[in-house]
Amino acid sequence: MSEKGKELFEKVKQNIGRTQEKGTLEEQFAEIWKLACIMKSKNYDLRHKYDDSVKEFVEKYKDQLIEMRDDFLENIDYYVEKCIEMLKKNGFKVYYAKTNEEAHEIFMNELGDNKVIYKSKSNEARDIGILDFLSENNIQVKETDLGDVLVELFEYKLPSYQVGPGIHFAIEDIVAKIKEKYGVELEPNAKAIVEYYRDIYRKELLNDVKVSLTSANAISAEDGCIMLMENEGNISIITRATEKHIVLVGTTKIVPSVFDALLVTKMIERTNDSTVAYISLIYGPSGTADIGGVTVRGMYGAKDVVVILVDDWRTKAKESFYSDFLRCISCKTCSFVCTASRVFGNIYASKYGLGASAIIRDYIHNGIEAAVEDGLFLCTGCENCTNWCPVEVNIAEIMRSMKKEATEKGLCPPALKGYQQKILKDKNPFLKKS
Amino acid sequence: MSKLIYLGCLSSSQYLETCRNAEKLIKFLDNEYQVLDNVPCCGALAYHISSDEEMQNHTQFLNEWFKENDVRELITICAGCYNYLTHYYPKYLGSDFNVRVEHLLQFISRPENLKKLNLKYTGKKLNIYYHDACHLRNADVPIIEEAREILNSIEGPIELRELENNRINSLCCGAGGGVYSIFKENSDYNSLLIFKQARMAKALLTACPFCYTSLKRIREENKIKTPVIKIEDFIIRLMEGGDPISV
Repeated sequence: MSEKGKELFEKVKQNIGRTQEKGTLEEQFAEIWKLACIMKSKNYDLRHKYDDSVKEFVEKYKDQLIEMRDDFLENIDYYVEKCIEMLKKNGFKVYYAKTNEEAHEIFMNELGDNKVIYKSKSNEARDIGILDFLSENNIQVKETDLGDVLVELFEYKLPSYQVGPGIHFAIEDIVAKIKEKYGVELEPNAKAIVEYYRDIYRKELLNDVKVSLTSANAISAEDGCIMLMENEGNISIITRATEKHIVLVGTTKIVPSVFDALLVTKMIERTNDSTVAYISLIYGPSGTADIGGVTVRGMYGAKDVVVILVDDWRTKAKESFYSDFLRCISCKTCSFVCTASRVFGNIYASKYGLGASAIIRDYIHNGIEAAVEDGLFLCTGCENCTNWCPVEVNIAEIMRSMKKEATEKGLCPPALKGYQQKILKDKNPFLKKS
Repeated sequence: MSKLIYLGCLSSSQYLETCRNAEKLIKFLDNEYQVLDNVPCCGALAYHISSDEEMQNHTQFLNEWFKENDVRELITICAGCYNYLTHYYPKYLGSDFNVRVEHLLQFISRPENLKKLNLKYTGKKLNIYYHDACHLRNADVPIIEEAREILNSIEGPIELRELENNRINSLCCGAGGGVYSIFKENSDYNSLLIFKQARMAKALLTACPFCYTSLKRIREENKIKTPVIKIEDFIIRLMEGGDPISV
């Protein structure tokens, strides 16, 4: 085992220690996350508001979804080109960035003199690394999803659940924190907290937003439009009541048609068992032709809608062992059915979120050492992620390949390496030396 | 010699009674099956961290051993051996691998074998749960319904119930992938979760020695009443008229 391997092994052990120690942030998160995972996997089989269960829904549309993703990946260049063409026809300003760095530069140019942006929840923003970049450049990023607002309130730096980033904060703690930070005393209940934020943020979001940042649940190439799903209304407001709406996404969010976009979006809603109030279908900036039949962009909604399509790791991934990951629709099902995630919460995670998919992203961006530090070897190989994935990404196989690479580089935990050596040399791992 | 009872490294080093029971059961159904000494391990614990070259070498080594001992058919009693022998061996050896691999549950659940076994239970009402091991449900040819066919074939006041997470959606015991040797916290929580789902059971049955190891430890540490029993032990006790759920 290499020195680096020992160091990472110790780090993971320390992280596990924190999940087992009462009162640590990691332990608190793990406890809530365990409940969330149990609930989510239980609900998978149940019927709530729909006549079918999530499982039945997934089974019904899985083949269609897989076929659609396969078609996209086989013809990715065609669809990217088509997407750019159609978005432009619809009045979007479109950029194609080969790397994250290129995307950052484009973003800064589009930002102009603006020093504040309003942002919806976006995992793509993390993947593209825009948040760190903006903070280095003294651009203030204002979160608008309440979960993310709470993450900011608590200055919570650990990974959180991408779909509900505020789930682990206790109501009493939120109320106490608001009092400490803003001197406002609130009743310790969810309604009072929500009303407080509604009062202060709604006015601001309706009046002050100049530039907003979102990703997309899906982008339709053939129709040239983007689809965004939400519950809070923040996306609806900041994509309309703004001068400029910037959509920052990886090319893998592209799907052929608007119906495919809806299927992807619906699949994310169902697999997460989430409540959705709005699904926005944005076909470009607002406009009117009421004055003399002349089309003028920018009526009540956004004047400019900019789409920055980012390739970065995606084209390269086609030739890699993780090419399957390009099919991912970011539904996060893999995280809540994961044996390791369920126990270890946000120490089996990376800055890209919880669980295997976040660890794979960390590997893609930061290499194998990062993945080992994220807890790669906590994976039991149970393959629940693969079995539950609605687009059949073989996440388990990707994790296995990563473990192999880690072992080759001397990063495999000692006991596991010991078993391997006994098998390969003695042909029996449990052989007792006589 | 052409028919081998492939006990697997974990069972043959830790669970001798289970091995004897499996042998008894298999030989009862087909007397040509035999246990051999010093059988090499299938390598299950090494595959996910070994290079293609290492895997190629190991699968070749075991295949040569099979050839030397003229093994043409085998029955594994370990879920891991079954998963790996049916996946990696054909993958790395192609047509050079000529051993028919069957898992104990597949073998027992053949209609003629169930008929021959004619399992009966005459004690008090017995609710049992069967836990689907990842290695069996994820295999290229999954083994999911076989256990149910066997347990449902038992005559008498015995009821097979389903855990909330069953079949392809079963919970992992937390001991897989060699994680048990490094971070036991995974099995601490997940095995307990399986027991929680089996709250109303008189016994929790498993066909995987890794799950068995993990569940057994958690049962002892948490003083859980429900015993965890390897399926071959359960069947032999039924056949011999003993208490099938004694620990």
